[in-house]
Amino acid sequence: MFFNSLSFAIFLPIVFLFYWFIFAKNKTTQNAVLIVASYYFYSCWDWRFLFLLVFSTLLDYFSAIMMENSTTDKKRKLWLWLTIGINLGFLGVFKYYDFFAQSFADLLQGFGFHTNPVLLKLILPVGISFYTFHGLSYVIDIYYKRITAERNFIDYSLFVSYFPLLVAGPIERATHLLPQVKVKRHFDLEKAKEGVYQIIWGLVKKVVIADSCATYANAVFDHYESMNSLSLALGAVYFAFQIYGDFSGYSDIALGTSKLFGIDLLKNFNYPYFSRDIAEFWRRWHISLSSWFRDYLYIPLGGSQGGMWMKVRNTFIIFLVSGFWHGANWTYIVWGLINAIYFLPLLLQNKNRSNMGEIVMGWDIGSLKTILNILGTFALSTLAWIFFRAKSLTEAIGYLQRMFTDFHFESQYLNNERYNFELLLLVFVFVGVEWFNRSKVEPLSGKASWIKVTLAIMALLALGVYSDYKEFIYFQF
Amino acid sequence: MKAFFLFIGKIIVVLLLSAIVLDFIYTTVFAQSKIRNKVENVINSKPQNYDVIILGTSRANNHFVSELFAEKGLKTFNYGMSGAHLFETSLLLKLMVERGWKIKNIIIETDLNLCNEKRDDGTFGRFMPFMHQSKTIADHFKNETDFAELYYVPFYRYIQFDAKVGLRAFYKTAIGEPTNVLANNGYYPLGFNPKANMKNNIESLVPLRNRYFEEIKQICKSNNINLIAVTTPMCSNVKGMGYFKKVKKLYPEINEYEHIVDGDEYFSSCGHLNDKGARLFTAKIIEDLFKK
Repeated sequence: MFFNSLSFAIFLPIVFLFYWFIFAKNKTTQNAVLIVASYYFYSCWDWRFLFLLVFSTLLDYFSAIMMENSTTDKKRKLWLWLTIGINLGFLGVFKYYDFFAQSFADLLQGFGFHTNPVLLKLILPVGISFYTFHGLSYVIDIYYKRITAERNFIDYSLFVSYFPLLVAGPIERATHLLPQVKVKRHFDLEKAKEGVYQIIWGLVKKVVIADSCATYANAVFDHYESMNSLSLALGAVYFAFQIYGDFSGYSDIALGTSKLFGIDLLKNFNYPYFSRDIAEFWRRWHISLSSWFRDYLYIPLGGSQGGMWMKVRNTFIIFLVSGFWHGANWTYIVWGLINAIYFLPLLLQNKNRSNMGEIVMGWDIGSLKTILNILGTFALSTLAWIFFRAKSLTEAIGYLQRMFTDFHFESQYLNNERYNFELLLLVFVFVGVEWFNRSKVEPLSGKASWIKVTLAIMALLALGVYSDYKEFIYFQF
Repeated sequence: MKAFFLFIGKIIVVLLLSAIVLDFIYTTVFAQSKIRNKVENVINSKPQNYDVIILGTSRANNHFVSELFAEKGLKTFNYGMSGAHLFETSLLLKLMVERGWKIKNIIIETDLNLCNEKRDDGTFGRFMPFMHQSKTIADHFKNETDFAELYYVPFYRYIQFDAKVGLRAFYKTAIGEPTNVLANNGYYPLGFNPKANMKNNIESLVPLRNRYFEEIKQICKSNNINLIAVTTPMCSNVKGMGYFKKVKKLYPEINEYEHIVDGDEYFSSCGHLNDKGARLFTAKIIEDLFKK
């Protein structure tokens, strides 16, 4: 059940009515209805993986209690590592086993040994990377005594399986979400309206921007050997907007949906393509994952303590792990590595926190420099996205090589019966709308909201892509 | 909560009104056009007189050179459509008849397409703007499972088939930009493709006593149109050429031409002749079937 499907359009109002009218008595009944809805939502992909979700919930719930009840540090540590081991074990088996087995076989083959690795070829349970990290943050917080273990199983189950964030985040923190599910929610008209605006804008990002860009990006990437420099550059730009529209659109729909139930989720995107350097980009892109790695990997590894070498080492580790988190493919690892390399000069010059404030524009040289920095950062992230999108390293390198050596810049007619540059206008309009609304969560609320909503709905109907490209990219992670 | 339901109600009204307005604008624009594809060319046509009309898939579109018929004094148009199934071909013929066309001969490609009675979405989508304009179209589609949504929900048909009748097609139609589909009297020549995959496997195909071919035969009979059904050439490296024997067994009246062009240099891909091959093939058809 995708957020942009008819079935979700039926499912959501039903849950809303049950939640606010039939089971609104207290927070337990509210939570119960959301758990049932969440399990139904998850089972729409594959009901068998519900067992995995329930097991993961039980494991983290009981481990946290055992950890809290432990009288010695040794026992606490034992429970922590047991939970981390089992959680990552599942993730490893479902997501990474085949990759390691195949890579090891390839390595042996490089030394002249021929092996036939046993591959499991398992279907990846949707959202496993998200809810595993979700649960891990909880047990790690318990271990460090940042929070106390949740004793109410219903409340904890909702924290793990809450349907708006279940399959692709944001990766919530117990400190943020649990306090909200532990109290009865009261209907807040303004919050609900904000939620609806955010859902509509999320749909525009997904169906109009991401899916339109996808038709072009796919046509270019799938036939990159016959594309010229201009087409390849445009293909990369279209993919940059596809993945942004897709994932931030999903996040907007998730946050908006949650607001309808009176629950705020963590902000996941903050106009990342307006970043002035790569460090700022990573503070604005997939914020819940970046901050997860900062808090649960970078800082435990020593963070910026211990001198420059430690900082560099830890930075490379989190970027590589972040890349690998996305998928079991060398392309993701190299994507992480490229971002670490982009980050390195800022780190060495201690400039990785120099663009923390709002972007202020005027008619001066400073603003021109800001614009150039934004364009430069976008260009760098777009080049890195080529590795993220390509099916293999060979394809990514071939793509880049051709883009920088072909030197033909005429417009090409694509296999999908479209010219290559028509979409640029739509992308420019989208960038303009985001730019002038960058201080807001979404551009539809505020003055003349009905005109803006009408235009958004018109755009959804007339510009949306419905016949293809319905899946959200991040569902595969 | 009441205020929220009112808010949602207004959004639904905006959605419905937007759909109705867009539906009206799109339908009005598409209803004026006859220069962008063969479907609208037939639907928006005045009565025509033809000696030969060619129907079928791309294997008709790329194989019958209208110009060679014209050289023999036969007014001909090739209405073969890439990807079309007999489901849409039958409808196109119904529309020609409904619009008062006088046709002496129809050559229909009946080979690989005989194994399918379903619709082809790509071609089906091109009929969408005209669903309310023509009862023939609505009647032809009424057994489709999504007919009710397509017919009654405003703008749904344009959303569902956005690749064919979406914004881009709407814009190009509005500015009157023609396509090359109607050039060469409908014949679309293919070039020689040195990288073409010159093999095909059709072992799994099974020809049907196709209800739409039966429908076409019936229409031709009741309108005194001479129907010439033919198979068309395949390259030399095809697995499962026994399919054509089954076709012949099922429909003895179908003329066999699948082996008539020999040599892969005449093909653009395994199932499609290049221009040189198409001219050879058309010449043979005219010689065999239009001897005076």
